[in-house]
Amino acid sequence: MTLAELDVLREQSLAELRAAADAAALEPVRIRYLGRNGQIPALMKQLKDVPAADRPEFGRRANAWRAELEAALAGRQTVAAPREDAVPFDPTLPGRWHTLGTMHPISRVIEEVCRIFNRLGFVVADGPDIETRFNNFTALNTPAHHPSLDETDTFWLGADQLLRTQTSPVQIRVMTSQKPPVRIVTPGRCYRRDTTDATHSANFHQIEGLYVDTRPVSLADLKATLACFAREMMGPSVGVRFRPHFFPFTEPSVEVDFSCHVCGGSGCRVCKQSGWIEIAGAGMIDPRVYQLIGYNPEEVYGYAFGMGVERIAMIRYGITDIRHLYENDVRFLGQFA
Amino acid sequence: MKVPVSWLSEYVDLTGLSIKDLSDKLTFSGIEVEGVETVGFTNRENYVVGEVRACEPHPNADRLRLCRVFDGVEELQIVCGAPNVAAGQKVCLAKIGAVMPDGSNLKKAKIRGIESFGMLCAEDELGLSNKHEGLLILDSKFAAGTPLVEALPPPDTIFDLEITWNRPDCLSIIGIAREFAALLERPVKLPEVSFPENGHPIEKLAAVRVEDAALCPRYTARVLTGIQDGPAPAWMQRRLEQCGVRPISLIVDVTNYVMLECGQPLHAFDYHRVTDHTIVVRRARAGETMSTLDGVTRTLDNQMLVIADPQAAVAVAGVMGGAGSEIAVNSTDAVLLESATFHAPSVKRTSTLLNLKTESSRRFERTVDPGLSDWASRRAITLLVQHGGGTVARGAIDVDHRPAGPRQVALRFGRCCSVIGVELAEERMVRILTGLGLQLADRNAERALFAIPSWRVDLEIEADLIEEVARIHGLAAIPDRAAQSFAVSGADDAGVRAVALCRHALLGLGFTEAMNYSFLSAAEMDAFDTRAARTRLTLPNPVSTDYAVMRDSLLPQLIGALGRNFARQAEAVTLFEMGRVFWRDAAGNPAEEERLAIVLCGPAGRGALDCRRPVTNEEAALWLKGVLEALAARLHAGVVALRPATHPAMEPGWAEEILLDNEAVGVLGLAHAALRHPYRMNVPMALAELKLLPLLAGVGRVAPAKNVPPFPAVRRDLAFVAPSRVQHAEIVETIRQAGVADLIGVRLFDIFESKEIGRGKRSLAYAIEFRSPSRTLTDDEVNLSLQKIIQALKQKLLVEIREG
Ligand SMILES: [Zn+2]
Repeated sequence: MTLAELDVLREQSLAELRAAADAAALEPVRIRYLGRNGQIPALMKQLKDVPAADRPEFGRRANAWRAELEAALAGRQTVAAPREDAVPFDPTLPGRWHTLGTMHPISRVIEEVCRIFNRLGFVVADGPDIETRFNNFTALNTPAHHPSLDETDTFWLGADQLLRTQTSPVQIRVMTSQKPPVRIVTPGRCYRRDTTDATHSANFHQIEGLYVDTRPVSLADLKATLACFAREMMGPSVGVRFRPHFFPFTEPSVEVDFSCHVCGGSGCRVCKQSGWIEIAGAGMIDPRVYQLIGYNPEEVYGYAFGMGVERIAMIRYGITDIRHLYENDVRFLGQFA
Repeated sequence: MKVPVSWLSEYVDLTGLSIKDLSDKLTFSGIEVEGVETVGFTNRENYVVGEVRACEPHPNADRLRLCRVFDGVEELQIVCGAPNVAAGQKVCLAKIGAVMPDGSNLKKAKIRGIESFGMLCAEDELGLSNKHEGLLILDSKFAAGTPLVEALPPPDTIFDLEITWNRPDCLSIIGIAREFAALLERPVKLPEVSFPENGHPIEKLAAVRVEDAALCPRYTARVLTGIQDGPAPAWMQRRLEQCGVRPISLIVDVTNYVMLECGQPLHAFDYHRVTDHTIVVRRARAGETMSTLDGVTRTLDNQMLVIADPQAAVAVAGVMGGAGSEIAVNSTDAVLLESATFHAPSVKRTSTLLNLKTESSRRFERTVDPGLSDWASRRAITLLVQHGGGTVARGAIDVDHRPAGPRQVALRFGRCCSVIGVELAEERMVRILTGLGLQLADRNAERALFAIPSWRVDLEIEADLIEEVARIHGLAAIPDRAAQSFAVSGADDAGVRAVALCRHALLGLGFTEAMNYSFLSAAEMDAFDTRAARTRLTLPNPVSTDYAVMRDSLLPQLIGALGRNFARQAEAVTLFEMGRVFWRDAAGNPAEEERLAIVLCGPAGRGALDCRRPVTNEEAALWLKGVLEALAARLHAGVVALRPATHPAMEPGWAEEILLDNEAVGVLGLAHAALRHPYRMNVPMALAELKLLPLLAGVGRVAPAKNVPPFPAVRRDLAFVAPSRVQHAEIVETIRQAGVADLIGVRLFDIFESKEIGRGKRSLAYAIEFRSPSRTLTDDEVNLSLQKIIQALKQKLLVEIREG
């Protein structure tokens, strides 16, 4: 067979295909050309008889013909009307695949907050739950007779060891091991001797942030950073305000309110009619902290902030009792897909 | 702390500010207003001054009176039960329709057969106080029919304030007044303190010996004789009550009043009952006992400071007086008045150890202004003399060990502005600080030097002054400008990201994340595993026995969570938790480690339409193994293998050690029936717990990409029956060792047991794949390889090849 004869045969096969009226008429065409003893397989067997010079081109065209015919046939077969006695597909049946698990709301908040601060140039840092007095209190400028050190407030494991009451000791660990600039967020589990009720848990989570640099960093930078976080976390119209407060390791210290994401500030049940929701504590790092960890307070500026993860989860998802977060009832957890 | 606004306004002019303004000023300068309460009579409608025109016995009741009361328009018939009602009095009349304190409307009533058209009120019925002893009798100058609000004292507002720990000076009305003075730029007006000193020189009347000046830097004593004790004036009693202090008698009330006013706790001793009229300030002797005002006998230690006379302790310094020198109502006519400063940590220690918190200790443990003791002493004597008379000894004993001179702190204007982030005029910064009572000592172009007033114990360094400037200037003025954000290099959070990757992989595998407390009860841990009981980390001061031990495994609580969900009819439950476990290491030191625990029960590994068939033990265990395999693959963690082990929480024969690249990293198995029993769980519960670190060690590992093989693979299926004791791994190993070329994979695709096959045997089917890196394999080559494999299996493992 010559190349020209092959082309003629190809045209003929495509014409037959076009002429076939239905699926039943397509089948003989398929068998004639593509079947085990059809024209194309026969052609392939005769390939060795083709002159060597034409052989590659002949093989290429034969393969192309086969592909063309198969594609055309497939196209015709899909549009062919279903047989009347076939069972129609029931698209309302449930899909068959395994379902995904759901992330714990506490993890969701931690990941979400970290993601936002990652974008602002913060790196996530981690530290142990069992801490030293120095890292948890002393280095954070907490006087020895501050009530937070009391046995009634803190789980002491000995004179020098305790379950951390905040994630700030991670900041101390990072600052004592590296030079400024330091820009970190520290999510983690903390412990305080609170009696468990709807809003308190002896075991809870915090996320704190810290930025220390040799260039001036101000309260305005802190406000801007938290404002950016507020918009990302709670919605584009949420704003922040500062109220002065006291924390041993910051000076000035502020409490940070977000405008209510539910009512937009006009007052509702969520914000107890005030239009604002207390979210975080923050401030400029007290120079005494720099001294305690070996930075020169004259050479650095910095701020720190901290917030409770459970509290944010409760506000964000409208959870009414902190204990729901630790009951692991799949009917509750399943909502947070 | 309670602050009545009327009292506050005695020391600073608050005109022109509403309650809302005042509240906002406090809130936005650092003092949180936790509550705002209006007290006093505010009701306007249907309350008038009434005139009792006639008062006769009730015909049907001995205790009741029948009154005719004129309301300015007409006479009303009113039944009254008060014992002090009499004709001619001006009284508080509530007419029909008046709103009562409980919110109800006063109605016409029939009392013992007689109609009553209103009510005559006692103080409690007007919301003025809790007194219900009798009618409140008004001054006769008020005409009947006058609206009652005009005849009663105006209502007052009481703020409930939260004072932060650094501001003990604000635990007083004057302290709050100073804040307003600075915020409003108005002066503080302190009350007059002056009295005649007509008595003997005090040295003749009393002596004070301070033996521990470190714990008592200052002790001021005055003596007042010939005082007439009795009830304090009504206005003073009212203020005490508004602040939550119970009035007792003039002498005690004045000490409390001055404490609330200026923050200095005072103690009045009965002068006659202080032996030798000599006060000794000393440490208690170890084991010394004394009985305090509350009637409890206290055992002291030698670090506690006491106020004593030469014989015995008469007070626990700064905490509570002793029963021996207590002043009861009208019990004495002479007072030795103590106004002292005690070391804050010492008072805190003592009050904590004695479990005794008082208004006094609350202030001392947060530091009381050492400059205050003499002024407070004079203020109290002024009030005592004013209201109780008496003769004041000449002079005062003032044992004063304060460091000389006030502290000086400099504020650099430039630093202040750059920390706050707002450009402030230098003059503004100076004025804010002087407005707070700081004295400008020196000033140049760069900085100002301030002398710190004695009451601001919190102002020690420049940062403290910057905070004052920021909060008085107002934080609302800080601009919310664009956040500067740039990456800080050198920090590594790969570990944190690996944990997140692991979490998301498990979510993708269909597991729900659980979270449990880090502590639980010893009993819960014992039910799981007692082998490590001695190395558990027990909390010395747990909240309760339910949370007394730090978990050394994540499984006990997770088993509980799984069981409770099962008991609530959840069909398949799949949970995981990533968290820390704790123990005491060989040296006895607390240690911690990150773990991952995974649990499942029910048809977790099946499709939805195949979930009613019972789940076998093998399925449950292999599902969990499969999860670990998928996880290890995702995390590049190496090869997962199981090795038989024993574990008290697992069913015998179903406990396995988890190996990750041959390193033991945890346990996997089926929970023992005893653990399932509380939840009536009659289906297998599969458990696994492993160290997180080795699982995450390979995250981020990058292997060079391989090209896709150019030649096709050839697959042959091989089914055979083997004795059940022959393990899958042996079969795979035998196939691999059969010595055939180009073998690239052995995969089990079917396994079953049946009657036809017979007991002790199972049918297995493997897909075996061949591929050459250099050419397309021919059928003959592959068949030859397969024959070799069949021979090896028959010889080594005695399998019977199934044809077809
Ligand atoms: Zn709202």
